[in-house]
Amino acid sequence: MEIADKAVYDGTRQHAEEAALAALVSQYAGTLYRVAYSVLRNSADAEDAVQEAFLRVLRHRDMLHEVRDQRVWLIRIVWNVVLDRKRRMKTRPETDDVAELARVLPASGLNAEERAAAAQHHAHVLSCVEQLPAKERQVLMLSAFEELTSVEIASVLGITESSVRSRLFRARNLMAGLLNHERSAR
Amino acid sequence: MNPSTHTPITVNPGSSEFEATLRLIASLPAPEGLEERVEAGLHKAPHRARILQWPVALRLENAWVRTAAAAAIVFVVVGGGWGISSRVQPAPQVRAITTPPHGSAPGGFSSAGAMRTPQTLNGPVVAHPVATHPATPTPQAKPAKKLSAHRGKPVSATRNIAQPAAPPVK
Repeated sequence: MEIADKAVYDGTRQHAEEAALAALVSQYAGTLYRVAYSVLRNSADAEDAVQEAFLRVLRHRDMLHEVRDQRVWLIRIVWNVVLDRKRRMKTRPETDDVAELARVLPASGLNAEERAAAAQHHAHVLSCVEQLPAKERQVLMLSAFEELTSVEIASVLGITESSVRSRLFRARNLMAGLLNHERSAR
Repeated sequence: MNPSTHTPITVNPGSSEFEATLRLIASLPAPEGLEERVEAGLHKAPHRARILQWPVALRLENAWVRTAAAAAIVFVVVGGGWGISSRVQPAPQVRAITTPPHGSAPGGFSSAGAMRTPQTLNGPVVAHPVATHPATPTPQAKPAKKLSAHRGKPVSATRNIAQPAAPPVK
């Protein structure tokens, strides 16, 4: 009898966990995709990263009820997945970035030439971002997500909020310097 | 709750064109059907560790199946142990301990045919006691006693030293 009760309890618990996981997927898959895409800049890779992040959640779903802020927790997971992939991945040619950006960026009201120029500009900005030191680059990329506060960025990166602010300040200065240098070189 | 900690990072609107690019990328919409694909991938993934999961046909639901499985495991373990122990022959016991011959090492010292003799101590030699009459002690016996009392110095000698010589009579 006890075994039957335990089986019923396990089944109910499993259904509850699956429902909670499905809710997380429907609520946060888009956010995680954008975080992944901002680093990987490839839609297929970003989708794979989201999938891998949710698989990690599935493996540790017993911890779900202990997590205080599920959104930040998920972003942290996908962030680690993305950084792992980025490290393992070979350097993608810059031309691929430009083509991918021209494909995905919104281009309402632009003709083909303007659209190509905009994609070129964005690719150039992103190549400057890649030249930043890793710490500054990560903070700068996460700060572009308007739904993330400085405290949440600090939580994702495992640093203090003051470190986030100082790194962001340095990143902006470095970016301004890089872009000015590029302009003067042309 | 501190309100300052939950304020988003403010971006100066005219400050940087690069942040516009980053924000544009950060606000890209997710592709269509992403949630469904992710959920389908999660359903395909194994929920538990597969190593410890029994197949459906072999699930041990009943008690007698568990007992039979336990008995089979015990039988295999005991049978295997008995099979090993019956094949292994114990080594014969050595009755005499042989010591290796003392060969001289090349370039080393040798005993040169010397035989080892056990170290024995010579026993104490007891002299025959002198048969003396206890009632008539010899005159030498007394000074001997005194001698022992004064630590080897004869009594007459000590007396001679202690008494000064008498002055000459005029």
